[in-house]
Amino acid sequence: MRKIPLLQQIARQFALALIGLYVIIPIWSILRLAFDASLMGRPTEFHLFPKQFSILPLLKILDRPYQSVNFLTLFTNSMTVSIGAALAATILGASLAYAFARFRFHGRSAGLFTILLTAVLPPVAFSTPLYILLSALGIRTQLIALVIVYAAFAMPFCIWNMRAAFQSVPRELEEAAMLDGAGHFFTFTNITLPIALPSIAVAALIAFLVGYSEFTIGWLFVERADTVTLAMSIYAILMSGSAQPWSQIGSLMIVMSVPVVVVFILFQRTIFERMIFGAS
Amino acid sequence: MKTLAILSHPRFKLALRLLAAILIGLLAWNMRQNAVQKLPPDYDEDDYLRAAQQYADVFRSGNLAGLTQVNYRQEHPPLSKIAYGLAILPAPQEALIPDRPTSASPDSGLPRDILTPARSLGANFGALTAFLLALVNPFGGLLLAIHALTIKYTSQVMLESLPALTSLLAVMAYTRARKGAATSSPRGMLRPYIFISAIFLGLTAASKYLYAVAGIAILVDWLLVSSPKFPGFRNLGEAGKGLRRYNPILIWGLLALAIFFLADPYLWPDPLGRLKESIFYHAGYSTTAAEVQNANYPSYQPLIWLFLFSVGAWHPMVFSFVLDSLISLVACFGLAQLWRKHRVYALWLIVGLGFLLVWPTKWPQYIVTIIVPVTLAAGEAVTAFAHSLLETWKSSRAEEKPSARDTRRALPWLIPGLVIFAVFTLFPLFYQFAMSLTDFSTLSILDGMKGGIWREFWGGIFGQIIPTMPGNAYQSREVNYIGTVTYLPILDDITTYGILGFNILWTLFSVGLQTALGLAAALLLWNPRTALRKGWQTLFILPWAIPETIGAIIWFTVLAPDSGWLALAAAQFGHNIPFAFLLNWHENTGSTFLVLLIISLWYGFPFMMLAASAGLKLVPIEVFDAAQIDGASAWQTFRHVTWPLLRPLLLPAIIVRGIFAFNQFYLFQVSFMFGNRGLSTLATLSYNIFNPNSGNFGSPPGQFAISAGLNIITMLILFVFVVIFNQQSNASKGVDYA
Repeated sequence: MRKIPLLQQIARQFALALIGLYVIIPIWSILRLAFDASLMGRPTEFHLFPKQFSILPLLKILDRPYQSVNFLTLFTNSMTVSIGAALAATILGASLAYAFARFRFHGRSAGLFTILLTAVLPPVAFSTPLYILLSALGIRTQLIALVIVYAAFAMPFCIWNMRAAFQSVPRELEEAAMLDGAGHFFTFTNITLPIALPSIAVAALIAFLVGYSEFTIGWLFVERADTVTLAMSIYAILMSGSAQPWSQIGSLMIVMSVPVVVVFILFQRTIFERMIFGAS
Repeated sequence: MKTLAILSHPRFKLALRLLAAILIGLLAWNMRQNAVQKLPPDYDEDDYLRAAQQYADVFRSGNLAGLTQVNYRQEHPPLSKIAYGLAILPAPQEALIPDRPTSASPDSGLPRDILTPARSLGANFGALTAFLLALVNPFGGLLLAIHALTIKYTSQVMLESLPALTSLLAVMAYTRARKGAATSSPRGMLRPYIFISAIFLGLTAASKYLYAVAGIAILVDWLLVSSPKFPGFRNLGEAGKGLRRYNPILIWGLLALAIFFLADPYLWPDPLGRLKESIFYHAGYSTTAAEVQNANYPSYQPLIWLFLFSVGAWHPMVFSFVLDSLISLVACFGLAQLWRKHRVYALWLIVGLGFLLVWPTKWPQYIVTIIVPVTLAAGEAVTAFAHSLLETWKSSRAEEKPSARDTRRALPWLIPGLVIFAVFTLFPLFYQFAMSLTDFSTLSILDGMKGGIWREFWGGIFGQIIPTMPGNAYQSREVNYIGTVTYLPILDDITTYGILGFNILWTLFSVGLQTALGLAAALLLWNPRTALRKGWQTLFILPWAIPETIGAIIWFTVLAPDSGWLALAAAQFGHNIPFAFLLNWHENTGSTFLVLLIISLWYGFPFMMLAASAGLKLVPIEVFDAAQIDGASAWQTFRHVTWPLLRPLLLPAIIVRGIFAFNQFYLFQVSFMFGNRGLSTLATLSYNIFNPNSGNFGSPPGQFAISAGLNIITMLILFVFVVIFNQQSNASKGVDYA
């Protein structure tokens, strides 16, 4: 490999630092708010660092972030909705994904195209008809409605990615099992699925994140405070103006983002490959 | 197969082309006639109608010598005005329209009985132009037929329609002449078509000087062809040695000049004096006239007319849809094709646009001079797209046919999967489609949920229910079927107020910036000896990992107009801090766009960085040493070594990001809370007019059907994205071993 001349190294580091500054500014901005106990509502003075450093806002968030609802309820709702949606999208989508990965049938390419098209639709394209349909069924304001809506957003994407996961399992393994007399279903559950599982998990993770970070469409459906998720509560607090100190909004966002950020950094390569729809 | 043989017969193809051109011409005529009836009188129409009346009087008196004396508004040559004079000759004689200054406001009292025949003549010229362009490229002709700005200015008593037609004829005749020169004898250039071209160019100049830019394009093209240095084109030097080789173009030029003088009777008594007078008027007008000064357009105003302006904003009741900016954008993708296939038209565009950018007067109608090459470029882009769509379809047909046995084996997996997919995905989308054809809204929500949508949808589809006109809809407590016409007002709204155009510009800009920065970051981090490489990389990935909503909110804690970090800094240290230009961004659209771009660049560049570094990993760094040794510059290395290697991986990533940016929702939704007042994507718009509890965008909330229609339109646009994605990646290429 080439050595980098000192001058060029300096120039490079300078350019990288500029990009780094761009990346860090908003993150720094939220940190300075999150740990500032002096804030009563929106910030009113300029400070580079928190005026009165404290982790109290963070603790407050872990207790009662929104109205009278405690953190645990919000967190449970978030988890119910996002895990429920991720599981529904992957488990219910698995059989279609396997069919597309392993069989050649009439209308296959048209079907693939349809799945890809539905996978790139904006969430609002699903939420509007589901709003009416779930209202008609009378379950619109319940948590199960959110599970259904988020599962509907995520399912085409999950089918597309699971198809890729199944396809990357060597066909010879399946054939060997079938030579030994195993049926299609047995082969699938005992050979293909375990091998494809890590990739499927990443698809499920992305499906999970849909429900985890979604807030606007959630508010379209849900009405009562005890069926609200963490992300939705951020939106509600923001909408209420200066009623709550911004340190708490900041803390809440940090609490929400940190786990996701850690996961993304650990699995960046795999997540990236899923997100590009297997085009690479 | 025999029936197919007919389809590819050249005669049949020609007939088909002609038929398409005629249909397009009729469409263009229809739209222009509609505009003739509906457009209100505009600036200058009174002037040219007055001129037409004067010419009509000359013809009535029978003393044609009058033609050499009359030329009201003599800065413009008289041919168009004479044509209008002939057009109103059969109409009853009206009192002469008063002479008013050029800056006077439109005269709303123009007598309809002479206004309509004059306008109709222009509309006919305009329709003919679309017909002719459709012969060159049907899609180009179609786009010209529906180009709203062109419809407006060719259907009013303006000087645009005749020279737009004749300049196209001059160029078409010239291309014909060149083709003749290439295929038959070298002197073929001199055969009739070059004379025809010259005649029409002369008529063009005698109608409006500006349109003669087409002539300059022809001249440049001819010089390129005849230059022995210009590679890739036939050297016409063999047409004659030395100066003689310039004979054809010399004759062409002289003939055009002669025709110009013949067609401009006003010049006859004092050719040079009067010509000078009329040309010098323009130089003076462009720098001193009050209306030019007041308009105070920037030099790039022609680009604004082309890309951002919507004539629908002036005449919302006249145009049912305005796709002008979209056509200009599509044209950008057809420029390369235009240069390869229709070089004269490309030169026409270059010369014309260059002139418009330099010339100080920037009226919107001047754009009409280059609309023909613009729509042709857009047409070429559409042709290329349609062609590749056809190819994909053909190649998918050519794949091995699955047997019935294969399908049977797949069924146990397919059926449960399809049922689930249908319930969760296809059924809601179908329901959405059904909704979009009705007038369903909060008013009719009870009826709609009790099955009113299905009742109206099936009833309407099978003709059991008479469609309600959009004007009468949305007012009852019951759902009403409207049908597909309901898309027209929606299309009109999103084009008139520029949301569709903004959405596309937004996609292009945000993905372009993301790609540029992502690529730059990847290149900076490529060399493993870069210090702190892993640390920088991890830092740069952060924005990608942070959920979009949260990313948007944290950016607005920096940029919010009143309580943002930047605003607070300005309050404390005064307005001379860095980035002070981002203060109060919510007060104008341009800054709002910029702020949104800054945020979306932040989200998006890490993904492009990952894509680029994944590509760069496959590139041996030694390639660059080799390129350096060969003396390649940094740009050459990038252009010819790095980019081709990166392209296969970067292009799918660009399209994925493009789809994402096109659908961008949360960023906009959050930005509404922090001061963004107007900019929105289709997805955000659809959400806000759906939401029964929101009052954004001034429309009554809970317009379920309109929101559904918007989503259907979005789906159609995304369909195009996905087709391109499919071609540029091997994403959905079948399984190799099924």
